[in-house]
Amino acid sequence: MYGYEFYVDPSRCIGCQSCVKACEECDTHRGQSMINFDFIDRSETIGTAAYVCWHCDEPTCAQVCPADAIKKGEDGVVMSALKPRCIACSNCVLACPFGIPKIVPEYEQMMKCDMCYDRTSVGKRPMCATVCPSQALSYVRPEEIANRREKPTNVFNFGEQKITTQVYMMTPPGTEAVVADITEFMWEKVNA
Amino acid sequence: MPEKRACEPLWREEFSVSKADERYVNRRQLAKFLTLGSLGMFAGNLWIVVRSWFRKTPDFAAATVANASEIPVGGVKLFQYPKPGDQCIMVRTAQDNYVAYSQKCTHLSCAVYYAPELNRLECPCHQGYFSIHDGSVLQGPPTRPLPRVVLERKGDDLIAIRMEGEV
Amino acid sequence: MDGHAKPQQNRGLTAIDAVSALLTILLIVQMWLLSATLDNYLAGHTDAVLPAAIISGLIFVSCFALYRFVREVDKSARG
Repeated sequence: MYGYEFYVDPSRCIGCQSCVKACEECDTHRGQSMINFDFIDRSETIGTAAYVCWHCDEPTCAQVCPADAIKKGEDGVVMSALKPRCIACSNCVLACPFGIPKIVPEYEQMMKCDMCYDRTSVGKRPMCATVCPSQALSYVRPEEIANRREKPTNVFNFGEQKITTQVYMMTPPGTEAVVADITEFMWEKVNA
Repeated sequence: MPEKRACEPLWREEFSVSKADERYVNRRQLAKFLTLGSLGMFAGNLWIVVRSWFRKTPDFAAATVANASEIPVGGVKLFQYPKPGDQCIMVRTAQDNYVAYSQKCTHLSCAVYYAPELNRLECPCHQGYFSIHDGSVLQGPPTRPLPRVVLERKGDDLIAIRMEGEV
Repeated sequence: MDGHAKPQQNRGLTAIDAVSALLTILLIVQMWLLSATLDNYLAGHTDAVLPAAIISGLIFVSCFALYRFVREVDKSARG
């Protein structure tokens, strides 16, 4: 709305977890971080990646919610589950191809990133993007991102399903879409 | 999978994911609900019309209900007219003046009684008061006057010949 | 790059709000009409029953027309 876009570059993540701590500070959900922070393969590498909600154009989580608790706003930001409606059924947790929504058992509530809507709706940057020292999570104008070697893409192919999102992933130049075949990463060895 | 809006199933349209759509859907559903309410009330009016067409004017049989000297002036007699179970109240308001009404209050059918000091018929349930002269409402929740029993005097007998002001 | 966000969709909402208010008023009138008709009928005055039903029918037709108008505005605003 203000001309900013959200860009995620996992290769820049240094694992400082500032984003996790900054997200926790937000008063609307104090103490509960909504950053999805991954250790890629902790026994093998120190590599980490931090993800926010990708705010899909056709949010799968919202479409499978039986309580109609997840809503997409007019500017495309997919909100976290509405407190009066969420029944913590985990439908969205299972449905999201990116694995973003998390159930918080103490509150019986699904919580996920809402792109700090209280900040972004008035032109401020989300907390995570503000504090990320390596700018693995950045909220800038497209002209600034154009300076980077990696190029943004917001198209994801999960098998046959194509998903377009509002948040961009930084990928090697020339990448049209991010292709993900989940079975490749499953730990169960399947005899082909 | 995203589908074109034209072939969207109804549930997806009614419970839209988009916040903007909700504004329209809620208002549309309110308009639908109000229109259905209007239809219901129109049906109610039609029902009354149909009832009025098929209503038979009941033939009231004349019945002797009391003796003229049975009750003193300001006294009361209860009787049943036109059928057993239709409670009525007769009041002798003056030496030669007798009035009778149905005892069922037109509000919620409590039994009315005669209050001699105020010369009116009173309903104890919700303080509905009726005029002794014509049964019209003086005060209170009742909206319709008390149905009147028309009396005829034949010698010493008081005969109820019909009811007025009731369906 | 703002192609994801749809433009503000508030078109026609004012008209729909006005129609809803009008519908409410019509319903209140119809409610009064029904209760007055019933009262009169129970008191034995049956001459007003048919005109009341006709007027109630006219009110319902107006309500239905207003509901159709709301549907039209909704369709044109949201597509």
